Amino acid sequence: MATATTLPPPYTDPAELSRARAAVEQLVCGLPGGPTGATAGQDGFEHPWEIRSFAMAVAAHERLGFDWAEFQGALVASIEAWEGADPATRGPWSYYAHWVAALEAVMAASGLLEDAALEVRTQDVLAVPANRDHHEAHLEPIAVDPAS
Amino acid sequence: MSDKIRTQEEIAARVKALESMLIEQGVMTTQAIDRMVEIYEHEVGPQLGAKAVVKAWTDPAFRERLLADTTEACQELGIGGLQGEDLVALENTDTVHNVIVCTLCSCYPWPVLGLPPNWYKDPQYRAAITREPRKVLREAFSFEVPESVEVRVWDSSSEMRYWVLPQRPAGTEGWTEEQLLALVTRESMIGVGPVAEAA
Repeated sequence: MATATTLPPPYTDPAELSRARAAVEQLVCGLPGGPTGATAGQDGFEHPWEIRSFAMAVAAHERLGFDWAEFQGALVASIEAWEGADPATRGPWSYYAHWVAALEAVMAASGLLEDAALEVRTQDVLAVPANRDHHEAHLEPIAVDPAS
Repeated sequence: MSDKIRTQEEIAARVKALESMLIEQGVMTTQAIDRMVEIYEHEVGPQLGAKAVVKAWTDPAFRERLLADTTEACQELGIGGLQGEDLVALENTDTVHNVIVCTLCSCYPWPVLGLPPNWYKDPQYRAAITREPRKVLREAFSFEVPESVEVRVWDSSSEMRYWVLPQRPAGTEGWTEEQLLALVTRESMIGVGPVAEAA
């Protein structure tokens, strides 16, 4: 936890926030919506993983500078595959599930991700109980900065 | 994506795994992700727009500047925009009522109004408000614009984002800024509703 002090400051400068948002908006504006009219980043996020995956794709794009059309194409392909799948066996509609799939596809194409390794890691995450190290009541304060 | 159905728990785990792997690969940092999340968590909301409206109501010189160059006038209030992305305030008068829409997607004056409401992105709103604005205002928003008032619908794009400067309600002379702020609704700045009534 020694690195906690390196967290970036929040967007206190409105101009900076504005730039960051505009950059994101520009990315998502041309993306396909879903059958429910869902659009990236602008509908509420229903689950924490959705906003994480949304942010990851944008962060990856910023860092790697890959062609955004690549991501867009992967997103379209994933949505189309869902639309063409048998309604009886496909999962329920989730815009961000396709978003995750598109991110995976782009990362795999860049050689940065192996599906099998991701699968293993996912199972690891699932195998760890959510409260593994935190399964008992902690009745006392865990840190005290005493009065002087 | 494999076509197997995933539960929320499974997909959340997969995203967590993906995040940890991409961080290990040096593709991103937790901070970069948090920062991106933050953009959407700390919404500016429509109160900035309300501030600009009240200032225009109470300061005629500011009103002039706002109507002449909205982007610049907003900067006076610390409302940031981006270069090449102009804000334009449309003033409602006794004879003209303005409404905004983005016919293509959902371009919205977010520096002043925050995130757009869901209906703003609805293809139905986008199409109908253009076709029959007065009727849509009446039927979908219960907002009656008198027949004597012209309704103008403006199409926002990413380069030029409109928002509406509503009229100051009668009977608010001498009101404090705080009192006035409470009157300015988001709907009134989109043009689909009135400002709150002066109680």
